[in-house]
Amino acid sequence: MGYGFGDECRRRFYSTVSMENKACILITGASSGMGREMAVRFSAVCRVILNGRDTKRLEETRQLCTNPAEQLIWQYDLAKVEELESSFAAFMSAHQIRISYFVHCAGFMKTYPLKMVTAGLFQDTFNVNVISGALLIKSLMNRKMNDTALKSVVLISSNISNFGAKAFSVYGASKGAVDALMRSLAVELAPRVRVNSVLPGGVRTAMTEHMYQDQELINRMATAYPLGLGRVGDIYEAVNFLLSDKARWVTGQQFIVDGGRTINITG
Amino acid sequence: MKEQLAELLEVDEVKDSDVLKDFECWDSLTILSIIAWASENYGKTLLAKDVNEAKTVGGLLALLQ
Ligand SMILES: NC(=O)c1ccc[n+]([C@@H]2O[C@H](COP(=O)([O-])OP(=O)(O)OC[C@H]3O[C@@H](n4cnc5c(N)ncnc54)[C@H](OP(=O)(O)O)[C@@H]3O)[C@@H](O)[C@H]2O)c1
Repeated sequence: MGYGFGDECRRRFYSTVSMENKACILITGASSGMGREMAVRFSAVCRVILNGRDTKRLEETRQLCTNPAEQLIWQYDLAKVEELESSFAAFMSAHQIRISYFVHCAGFMKTYPLKMVTAGLFQDTFNVNVISGALLIKSLMNRKMNDTALKSVVLISSNISNFGAKAFSVYGASKGAVDALMRSLAVELAPRVRVNSVLPGGVRTAMTEHMYQDQELINRMATAYPLGLGRVGDIYEAVNFLLSDKARWVTGQQFIVDGGRTINITG
Repeated sequence: MKEQLAELLEVDEVKDSDVLKDFECWDSLTILSIIAWASENYGKTLLAKDVNEAKTVGGLLALLQ
């Protein structure tokens, strides 16, 4: 770190935040994988609000952060979209914070072939991947709750968004929706707030661990990914850039970080 | 249990002795469906390899016990 987003975070000061000068960043999905990595890395320069469902793993993330005592946990099941706004409002008012940056990294993936698809699966997937992210942006744009603190948002999509794969219809549709949401909000919230998305390729995390049990798949990936296997830190770097002022003229964009997987048409 | 499996295999009914590979709809997606079904309804984590090695309907159902 020590450049771009980091410096910016350090400089920021909100008079409403009495206990410190650091900008706050909300990260959903902070209890695992990419979200945990981002929480830990951003905690060096920001105050981090960690969201997830699993209290124990959220606490583990907090302990991995710089200054754990400074970081806040908002434990909430994002699938409960009906009460999401009121729960978040209560959290914000209890802690009297203002949030400048938001990364929606929580994700729900079930790879079901069409014959296993149900309305419930669509609802669960869209609630977590799309609707909760949209409602959180709405809350963060509310002046009573967050003044005009919000500056930049990154939604974690997936490289499936622009492509197709067997058994990925529901998840793929939800990530396509994430990107469509991202574009319209980028226009609606400009010029004050920038909204972009990051589209990772396959990275080994809790979400995909079951796939990596298969050595054949690992071998296939090694050939399909021109740059080889990726890491959670690779996703963090892209997010860091998009949140920072270095990306001040970038909004409404899909940033694909997949080691070249989706441009590889080697037969 | 057998009724649901018959549904997944797109037939009216299944017998323990039916060979999985002989079902007309048997392919990688059906295997994925079975894995999803086992996880959803029986909390079992099956790998594609397990399903293939089960060979018959009876063998598959035994994995879910
Ligand atoms: N790994 C990949 O290959 C890959 C590829 C492309 C895109 N992505 C996307 O990257 C993002 C991060 O995934 P990951 O690989 O880091 O997965 P992960 O390690 O499984 O983490 C998923 C996170 O989402 C949270 N989450 C899930 N459902 C939630 C809910 N109902 N309420 C609140 N939080 C919830 C989980 O929190 P709890 O565990 O506390 O519930 C967890 O922190 C996801 O949006 C995923 O779709 C991943």
